[in-house]
Amino acid sequence: MLTTDQKDALQEIANIGMGQAGEVIARVLNEFVTLSIPRILLLQPNLIAPALQRMVNSDSVSAVRQAFHGHIRGEALVLFGLQHCADLADLMGYEKDIDHATEMEILLDISNILVGACLGGIAKQIKVDIGFSAPSLLGDRMSLKDLIKTGDVAWHQALLIEVNFQLEKRSFACHLIILMPEHEIKLFAAALDRFLENF
Amino acid sequence: MALSILVVDDSPMARKMLIKALPTDWGANISQAGNGIEALAAYRLGKVDLMFLDLTMPEMDGYQTLEALRKEEMNCIVIVVSADIQPIAQERVLSLGAAAFIKKPVDIQKLEPILKQFGLL
Repeated sequence: MLTTDQKDALQEIANIGMGQAGEVIARVLNEFVTLSIPRILLLQPNLIAPALQRMVNSDSVSAVRQAFHGHIRGEALVLFGLQHCADLADLMGYEKDIDHATEMEILLDISNILVGACLGGIAKQIKVDIGFSAPSLLGDRMSLKDLIKTGDVAWHQALLIEVNFQLEKRSFACHLIILMPEHEIKLFAAALDRFLENF
Repeated sequence: MALSILVVDDSPMARKMLIKALPTDWGANISQAGNGIEALAAYRLGKVDLMFLDLTMPEMDGYQTLEALRKEEMNCIVIVVSADIQPIAQERVLSLGAAAFIKKPVDIQKLEPILKQFGLL
């Protein structure tokens, strides 16, 4: 569904979006963020959870979802390993024993920043307009298998773009996943083609 | 003699974007490398005057490449071109001997003043 050129362009565009998000997170947390090479996968929906399991390497995660809409539509998920939530609160200057509601608020705030910067950066480069829904908690301390239930989806292919952010000196890390169903992938591919025409 | 340029990035698209941004009338010899190991191999052949270097790469990243080049006296101008736009990343590459840092996506407007600064235009 994506040509080699389209995948390559997408990886570089995601890389630039990730860099912009990393810079914002670094500023918010006052820590150096180590960036990874973005991963681009086209998967059947039932293979998404196992693929994420391998990427995140954590049995249980908390996840925030944020839909994007406009010229292209999809879902952004930000996955946090459990051990990292407390570290994040500490980095943001909260007292040691924060309540659960505050912890979730922090995850929503960080997710909103990451998704806006990364996806906004991607959309800007391929010259499409997108908007975002408010972030919401998809699951708290859940297995990825329970979190990503794909049994009732009608589509056959999903585009998964994964970028991860790690702090150099702290244990905190999180993964930003962008998911799009197949009919949106076609629109996205057309936008990538227009981008590629410049080169 | 024509300038020898090495564009180092794991992404073929990123290399294409950078080469497209170079001055068209430059008459430079342009070669490409996909990571730091390939870049060092090209450098050791003595054919690199100017290197455009990405930071986030597999096998050997941009920081490791700069460290290796520094040990070998860095006999070329290295301009880092990266999506990692954190001020600390920029400070680190300059302290490792890079001549300049350009934020991706690169274009002629970002390149031109830097190339002029080093007398390359």
